[in-house]
Amino acid sequence: MPTKQIGKYQVSVINEKCISAGSCVAIAGGVFELDEEGIARVIDQNGNDDETKLLAAQSCPTAAVIVIDTATGKQVWPIE
Amino acid sequence: MNAPKPFKAKFEEKIVHNARYSEYHFEMIRPHELDFRSGQYISLLVDSTTGQRRSYSLCSTPAAQHGFELLIDHAPAGVGSQFLSSLQFGDEVQGIGPMGHFVLSEQPEQVLVFVGTGSGIAPLRSMILDLIQVRQDARDITLYWGMRHVEELFWLDDFQDLVEKLPNFHFYPVISRPTNGWSLSTGHVIDLLLAHKLQKNSGFYICGSSAMINDVQKLLFEKGFNKDSIYYEKFS
Repeated sequence: MPTKQIGKYQVSVINEKCISAGSCVAIAGGVFELDEEGIARVIDQNGNDDETKLLAAQSCPTAAVIVIDTATGKQVWPIE
Repeated sequence: MNAPKPFKAKFEEKIVHNARYSEYHFEMIRPHELDFRSGQYISLLVDSTTGQRRSYSLCSTPAAQHGFELLIDHAPAGVGSQFLSSLQFGDEVQGIGPMGHFVLSEQPEQVLVFVGTGSGIAPLRSMILDLIQVRQDARDITLYWGMRHVEELFWLDDFQDLVEKLPNFHFYPVISRPTNGWSLSTGHVIDLLLAHKLQKNSGFYICGSSAMINDVQKLLFEKGFNKDSIYYEKFS
């Protein structure tokens, strides 16, 4: 059965931008993990609340984490 | 590894090393201490309107938990640099930290080699001072530091003092675009790593650009070192 997304923010990672700093994992460890190559990936959209997900994205040194507000369809981070 | 926490700190001191690099000192306000490991970094809120943050490696040692020091490269002249330049003494900053896995390994390496370029020296300085001043580590420690221009160098006297006081510390600054009067190494850090004999039981800590780190890693693999003895932090 598909899991229902609790918050309205959906995050994704631009692999090419990730430099393995791990700030997303440190802040939102329920959502992100580093793979075998040290690249961040999303493991659970519901692993942390929206505020934490946004903070994790804002803390990424290379702006590799994108946050979309699923309610509006607009990109919340990075600011366009 | 300590979980990152939000904190507030007060801007306390600024040391302008040269036109490009400055050192910023902060005193913790809440909580009173920043419990970090040498090599880690923090994320500072540099624009409260947009929520923009910038990450900076801590260049001070964990021994001084009541405050922390950052090395700032003003050359990019971005939002982080502008924010820090605008700070007045006593201003409060908001951050989150510590973060990062670029820390001293518990592996039993007998020789430690630090390789940095530009502001990549920041976490390496924290680690080296932690090893020497706090842990009084007697292992052989070598620092290779690459810069483009002589006038961008700083902390030279500090590292040179360590060389004179400690037989186990070695320091090789290298300049890629030297001017007249520079009598030490010219070229890139990788040139020195190629020329020097590297001990088999070494651990390597590398910090700087992705390109430099990839080149150094490739060289170390060619020299027979494996990835378990290579630790790095990419700044770009």
